[in-house]
Amino acid sequence: MVTIELYGVARLRARREAIEVAARSLGEALAALGAACPTLEPLIVAGGRLAPGWLVALNGAQITADLETPLGDGDVVVLVSADAGG
Amino acid sequence: MGRGGYFERYLRVDLGRPSAEHVPLEEATRRAVVGGVGLGALLLTRETPPRFDPLGPEAALVLAFGPLVGTPLTTSAKLAFVAKSPLTGRISDGLSSSSFAIAGKRAGLDAIVIVGEAAEPSIVLVDEEGAEVVPCPDLWGRDVSISEASARLREAYPEHRFAVIGVAGERLVRYAGIANEGRHAGRGGLGAVLGAKRVKAIGVRGSRPVPLADAEATLRIAKDLARRSLGPATEKYRSLGTVANLSTFNRLAALPTRNFQASTFEEARRIEGEALHDTRERGRGSCKSCTIGCEHFFEVRPGERPVKMEYENLFALGPLCGIGDPEVVLRASSACDELGIDTISAGGTIAFAMECAERGLLPAGPLAEEARDLRFGAGERMLVLLEDIARRRTALGDLLAEGSRRAAERLGGEAPSFAPHVKGLEIPGYEPRALQTMALGFAVGTRGADHNRSGAYEADFSGKVNRFEASEESAAHAVAAEDRAAVMDALILCKFLRRALEDFFGESAEMLRAVTGLPFETEELARAAGRITLVRRLFNEREGWTPAEDTLPARFFEEKLPGGAAKGAGIDREGFARSIKAYHARRGLDERGFVPAEVARDMASLIGGKNR
Ligand code: SF4
Repeated sequence: MVTIELYGVARLRARREAIEVAARSLGEALAALGAACPTLEPLIVAGGRLAPGWLVALNGAQITADLETPLGDGDVVVLVSADAGG
Repeated sequence: MGRGGYFERYLRVDLGRPSAEHVPLEEATRRAVVGGVGLGALLLTRETPPRFDPLGPEAALVLAFGPLVGTPLTTSAKLAFVAKSPLTGRISDGLSSSSFAIAGKRAGLDAIVIVGEAAEPSIVLVDEEGAEVVPCPDLWGRDVSISEASARLREAYPEHRFAVIGVAGERLVRYAGIANEGRHAGRGGLGAVLGAKRVKAIGVRGSRPVPLADAEATLRIAKDLARRSLGPATEKYRSLGTVANLSTFNRLAALPTRNFQASTFEEARRIEGEALHDTRERGRGSCKSCTIGCEHFFEVRPGERPVKMEYENLFALGPLCGIGDPEVVLRASSACDELGIDTISAGGTIAFAMECAERGLLPAGPLAEEARDLRFGAGERMLVLLEDIARRRTALGDLLAEGSRRAAERLGGEAPSFAPHVKGLEIPGYEPRALQTMALGFAVGTRGADHNRSGAYEADFSGKVNRFEASEESAAHAVAAEDRAAVMDALILCKFLRRALEDFFGESAEMLRAVTGLPFETEELARAAGRITLVRRLFNEREGWTPAEDTLPARFFEEKLPGGAAKGAGIDREGFARSIKAYHARRGLDERGFVPAEVARDMASLIGGKNR
């Protein structure tokens, strides 16, 4: 399973801090997230993609928007707003 | 189409005489630097002699308006306070927004320049005719809070709007700020510049409408911008405010903790924005003329006045000092606002002192004695220390009122290696080792470590760069971020609007054309952005800047981050030096980072005055 962590606006909209999904890639994880938390559609995730201004930090480290990024059991996807800061 | 946006003059007030004269502001200058921070930097250079004392009578404080203030454009009610910083010895500009900015502009002015020193504690009253210097014995040296002073001034002069200093400005605390209607030009000690001039407050009054060259086009743009300002690009600011950063930064291990000894904070959950929102939020507010409204007010205790909180206050008075008690952090932030001190420098300097105390670096005597109970996490002690600093009333308070760089120099030994500043300005809430393009932005910043004049962190959060490495690519992002900030701060519009602008330079140029009637083109504005940075750099060079200043404290090169998602991250000294060289090249500077002589010569005729 993959854990998706939510912060800031995403957390407020979804009314939860994290969700576990079965996914082998970032695209699959985002599709599962949108299905489980419809309040995130379409402004944060949109049909398995990231909406403009949103990115993820894989296991909190490098930041990416590459939907092909492979995910494995135990990975953590941290959903980050690109306007983190200022 | 007529002309608008500018009144084509500024007011020069000499407190020593006292006298006030209107000085014409030629079109070439307006086109070259637009207004706001650009105009402020230029007038500061023009109005001062080389190597002046920032707390002496030759020092100038410039209040520079932008061409958009007083128009219907959202977030435009802003001005820039610009001076030589007594904290850094380099240029400092602080933005602030309120009806003070509108009233000042409507006095028929593009800027106000204040020089000299008043014979006795005074206020300066500016209107369309000129300025008057009025003694204010009841407000000076009486330990009056900023809100109390502001309320008394409003009562005495109901038609004026005021910018005020607190007790910290009077006592020349090197990071004292200037407050106006709840907003603060906090960084770099501009409040001390005013304090040294014995000026408690500046009042402005004006009723001249700001002319619009093309009123129809301006209104159309204003409406469209207001609509976009309420879209997804600003949702964070509206729903949570900047305090939203804390939990994300903690997760990404970018949250400066215990004087930059760590970048994750174990008590972050207690003070994160989401928790404050759920349990303590009591209202929202906004600057004058703003449709976004990013101000969020939080309850300290039931029955007490809620306190406005932003991320920089939260991180600096919280994790940076090891404090996780929301009540203490809210109280500390409110105290800084009432005393008139910059929260980032206050938090940074106290965190530095906490580390010194824990390491036993304070010399025996009053300093060690007073620091006996100073430890990370000692919230009540921090609250007392803030009061001591603002009044310089104890040995430790007096030392820390000088800022972390001077305090470290006095303590000597290893202290300078972990004093958390660049050029003397304490580092804001972005851990440099976890955000290394931002680290570059900090190092090369003309006012020191600065997240407002360089938004280079945007590259770190974009996925376009490796955030754990400063590269030559970082340099391109650092230059672009500085340029965008320079334009926003020259116009002046709020940076929280930036994501609502799809074509940043193009839309900014369109606004300028509609308001001013001057043929600002996109490329011209992009060139003006670079020029503004060069004006600031030339000022710094004149005041003694050396390339060695464009760096970070040794800690960031020598110590790796201990935990979290950035565990093991450090900054490679050689790689960082290469990214600085790449920045110099992109900025059009010479190998060492100086403005090339031929460029400086061209700029000298634009700047004029007594420089170089
Ligand atoms: S978004 Fe916030 S800081 Fe910007 S103008 Fe509006 S209230 Fe002021």
